[in-house]
Parts: sequence; C-alpha cells; structure tokens
Amino acid sequence: MSDIDIVESLKRDLGAKALELTNPALRRIFLKVAPADLVGAVTLLRDRYDCAFLSTITGVDAGDAFEILYHFASPVTTIHVRTAVPKNDPRVPSICPAIPGAVLYEREIQEMFGLVVEGIPDPRRLMLPDDWPAGVYPLRKDWKHVRPEEVIPGGES
Amino acid sequence: MLNKLTRWSRIKSPWILHLNSGACNACDIEIVAALTPRFDVERFGVLLRATPRHADVIIASGPVTRQMRDRIIRIYEQTPDPKFVIAVGACAMSGCVYRGAYNIMGGIDQVIPVNMYVPGCPARPDAIVDGVVKLLGKL
Amino acid sequence: MSFEIPIGPQHPALKEPISLRMTVEGEVITGVDIRLGYNHRGVEKVAEEKNWTQNIYLTERICGICSHSHATCFVQGVEKLMELAPPKRGLYIRYLVSELERIHSHLLWLGVAGHEAGFDSFFMYTWRDREIVMDLLEMISGNRVHYAINTIGGVRRDLDEGQRAKILEGVATLRKRSEYYFRIGANEPSFVARIAGVGMLSKEQAIALCATGPVAKASGVGRDVRKEDPYAVYDELDFAVCTADTCDVLGRVVVRVMELLESYKMIEQMVRNLPAGDIACKAPRKAKPGETVSRYEAPRGENIHYIKSNGSDKPERLKVRAPTLGNYPATVEMLRGCFIADIPLIFAAIDPCICCAERAVTLVDARNGAEAIVRMSELRRRALERAPKAPLKGNAVWPL
Repeated sequence: MSDIDIVESLKRDLGAKALELTNPALRRIFLKVAPADLVGAVTLLRDRYDCAFLSTITGVDAGDAFEILYHFASPVTTIHVRTAVPKNDPRVPSICPAIPGAVLYEREIQEMFGLVVEGIPDPRRLMLPDDWPAGVYPLRKDWKHVRPEEVIPGGES
Repeated sequence: MLNKLTRWSRIKSPWILHLNSGACNACDIEIVAALTPRFDVERFGVLLRATPRHADVIIASGPVTRQMRDRIIRIYEQTPDPKFVIAVGACAMSGCVYRGAYNIMGGIDQVIPVNMYVPGCPARPDAIVDGVVKLLGKL
Repeated sequence: MSFEIPIGPQHPALKEPISLRMTVEGEVITGVDIRLGYNHRGVEKVAEEKNWTQNIYLTERICGICSHSHATCFVQGVEKLMELAPPKRGLYIRYLVSELERIHSHLLWLGVAGHEAGFDSFFMYTWRDREIVMDLLEMISGNRVHYAINTIGGVRRDLDEGQRAKILEGVATLRKRSEYYFRIGANEPSFVARIAGVGMLSKEQAIALCATGPVAKASGVGRDVRKEDPYAVYDELDFAVCTADTCDVLGRVVVRVMELLESYKMIEQMVRNLPAGDIACKAPRKAKPGETVSRYEAPRGENIHYIKSNGSDKPERLKVRAPTLGNYPATVEMLRGCFIADIPLIFAAIDPCICCAERAVTLVDARNGAEAIVRMSELRRRALERAPKAPLKGNAVWPL
C-alpha cells in the first residue's frame, strides 16, 4: 500500500478521532489524536497496519502544552502518532498493554518532562542519577542548568 | 634495598586499571587497541588488571557523570599508594563537547588528582603508550 | 559460594558502566533489572544550545563505535529540514564510510564475543584485522574514530584514485581473512557448542518487545532500514538482508558474519561506481521551521533521530534513540531462565554500545532475599570452568 492509500484508510478507520493527518514526506505519516483515544489508535495501528514496532517516544515542550510523539515503523512506511497534554495536567495513558516494549521510553519521558503516564508498569527513574532532586525536569524549556564553579588544580579558580 | 626493588618493578611493569566514567567509548577502544598486536603495550610490561587493589596506574577516560562520581572516588581510595592517574582524551581533561551538560561534573581532575593528561578525541593508541612511558620516566 | 564486592571495571575489552540486578534461584536467573544512567550525559539538552554544524560534532560523540551513524542520521534529517539535495558523489562517499564503520564494528564485536567465549586468540586476530579498516578510515578522513566527514550538504573530503585503489585492496584482504575465520567456526565445535542455545528470544517476543538489528534478525525478524526506508544510495545497491532462525547467540554471530560479507560487496560496488561531481552543496545557516524523523541502520540496529526546528540556527528539540536502548527489554527477556555464568556472553551478544555490560551484577537470592554482588570477571571465570563439563550441544551446526 502506498502512503496515500494508508492515509485514506486511516481516515476511514478513525473518522473524527484523527484530529490531524498529514503526509509531509515519503514514508512519513503524522497523525494527531486526543490522549483519550491514544490506546485505541495504537492498537488499531498494531493490528491493522502492521505497526508492531515502536521506534521510540519523544516528548516536546511546546510552550503551553507537552506534545508526545509515538514513532511506529511498518515495513512500508512510518506512522507517527502525536498527542498533546496541557502543562497543568500532564497525564497520558500508557500504551504498554498494547506494546510491551514501550515501558523504557515512557519511563524516560516521565523523568525528563514530569509527565504522568497512567498505568505504567514500572514508574522508576531510568537515566537520571539517584541523587537528582525530585521535581526537577531537565528537558523542560524553563529549566536551565547552572554550572558549578570549576576547580583548576594547581591554579586559580 | 627493598624500596629500590619495588620502585624498579613498578617502573618496569606497571599494572593498570582502566576506568570508564561515562565516556562515549572511543578512548576506551583506543586503550584496548593499545593491547593488540599492532601497538602492543604489553611489551613494556604493562598489564591490564581487573581490580583497583592490584593497580599502580589508573587510566581514566570520559567526563565524570554525577552517577559515577562517588564510585570514582571510591576506586581511587581503594587503590594502594603510590598510585598515578592518567586522564586520557579531551573528555577526561575538561569535558570535551559535554561541558555545560546537566549531568556532567567536568574533567576527571574535578574529582581525583591527575598526574598526566593525554589529549585527543579520541587519543591515539600511540599517544596513550607515549603518555604511559613518559609517566614511568618521571617515577 | 562467596561473592566479592565489586567496585571497578574489570575487563579489558571496552565496557561502560551499567548495573544489573538479578533474582536467582540456585544458578538460574528468574528476574532481571537493569540500572541505566551511569552514562547519561544530557546530550539532548546540550544540543539545544549549539547550532546545526556544531551539533554534528556533538552527535558524533554520542558513541565512539558507531559515531558516524549518529552524525549521518542527524545530517540526513537536517538536510531534509533545509530542503537540500546533496550531490551524488558526496552521498556515495558518506555511505561508503558508513559501511566501513559497519565492518569495523562487527569485527570489534567478533573479537569481544570470542573473548567472552574464552577464545582469546580470535580476539587478537580480529582486532588486528580491524586495524586495516582503521587505516582506511584514517586515509579517507584523517582520524581513526570520530571521522567528522559529514557536513550539512555533503561530505568534507574527497576520494582520489589512489585512495580508491587502496580501499579495494583492503577489502580484498579483509574478505580473505574473514572467510578464514568463518571456517574456524566449522572446525571449532567447542566454540559453537558454547554459544548455541544460549540467550533464546523467540520471534514473537522479538516483535512484541521491539527488538532491532542483529538481535531481531537472529530471531527471524528480517527488518532492515536500508531496505524498508532506503535513504540516499541504498536503493541503488545490491545486497541482501541477513537473517537466521536459531534465536540464540549463535544466530547473532552468524548474522553479523553474513552482514560483514554483504558490506564488503557494497563497498566494492560503491567504489567502482563512484559518480563524478561535487562533494557538497551550500547549506544555509538557519533551517525552516518544521520537524523531521531520520532513520538509519547502525551496526546495532535502527537508529532514529527526531529533529524539530523553529526557524533559527539551533534545533528546538533533538531526540536520539540509539539501538541498544531499544534492545533492553529483549535482553531482560533473554536473560530469564539462563544460568548466571552465561550473563557475560548474552550481554555481549546484543553488542551493547551506549551502555555496555559492566561493573557489577547484583544477585538477589529468590529464596531468602539475600543480596550479593558479583563481578563480571568472576562470572566469566566460572563460565569457562563450567564449559568443559557442561553437556555439549552436539547437534549444534555452524551454518556457514
């Protein structure tokens, strides 16, 4: 199936749930859904569009909302599902029931952005060190790292 | 007399501990490549050991991540005196491209005292061998 | 059995810090937990403060073994954002270096696998051959690792006739040597028996856990970004996707060995058909606002970069997912049900890159919750002691 066929077929299957559906480049299809329809859309892609392979989950700090992108790859194209959550209530459902391999990526967006992934099987930190202060989310745009004073051995600081 | 013997054996055959504190692996491959037949650092009597208790020289690569900081200090304290530290690569010297990252402390000298710096990104095996030999010459 | 407190790296072949926590019952592993983060450098945050060209050098240093993969994946994406069309000659040179990198990475890994299985002379042989590839790369780009041959819009250095002849000569030597090693496998039944049946990952599990690269290919999942989403020159080259269906470490070795042979073929095609022309086109300082996803087949699997631009000369968001992270859930599954002594081999078999098997393994006894920490070198020593007495899987066959 070519990209155009896939886009038409997605329009038919999802109807009004597909808030936005674009095909900006060859083998790149971007689909936007609301957080509540996320798990349904992912299950549909896995079962009917051969998208069982999740490449990764990206979080983006887009000013007043967080955008989360789920990148899927099928043998003929790649489909990227986008969903947006407001900053004051950043909750998104977990897709682990449909895609078991998503757990590490969800842990990562939780600790980097402060999102709350509901139903995640394992909510621990993934990459930040144990002594990282809670409540500090490095990839948010409003957080800047302050470098500590460097000590130059044998010289002036 | 015993002192002279130990000093001679330390110079002639230093045992090395390889410490990777969050590096990209390039310097580490070059350190291992120094063992392979082409550069062959073993002909200088240098032996790679697995534990800090046996080591004379610590070869450290990589910028120090927060997670690794305490472990590096612990390893340094476990190594018996006299010990020397060689910082290999630009990351171990100052942090290289990662300066300013939130999880990086800087070079190895922010955490433990360093005796010899080997620059390069990554440092060539010849440069590493040269650094080790020069350090031995100063002992 | 007494365990030692580990603190410190142990073994010569490169490893990076990672810590594993295993629940064991006797000698069998029943549960695994991987602790990452020792190597987390915050590259994604640093990338937002550097401009497009500086970011090429930053992404290169995400990993030392597959540095060109990250740099190329990034540059591909940026070229799409800037709507550039790099000239053919530049693309051929860029992907020639990619295939050379694949060779060097697989040879490195073969040496490490040999070392883990107790075959140290194999380690020395393959690393000596790797030096041929390193010399070629140094001749092409000026550095053994971190080649920095990419620039936005093409490559920075050109190839002349003498260099092309040297590349073909080097590949011919490597091919002869590689074929010799592959026959070793057939004559060394102890090597094959040591790795067969270890670290099983069935095809369904590989698909469900999103495994990628040779780990998935060894379980029969033949997905390769170069065939599915061909970028630049790969749709003009003739090569096959290598799979195996034994689902174990032997399959992973076989897949990588076959990929080596395919890479030699591809390099010869690229050098012989190198088109004439420029090597780079001019790139603007700023990129138009937009987003792009760039995928690349690194030696370890699929590498994906997501780049978002807001019209300035710095990226708004750079997201990198290296292939080894994608293979961790599959690794956890593979380790379950295995013997403790097999841990170094299984971990080495996924060809870990960003985070490697290292430091310490914490063993939690399932019966009484007691914890003990064991070093990898200790595990390796026990594995090598156990190997002669373990029942040989006599019917394991070297398929090459």
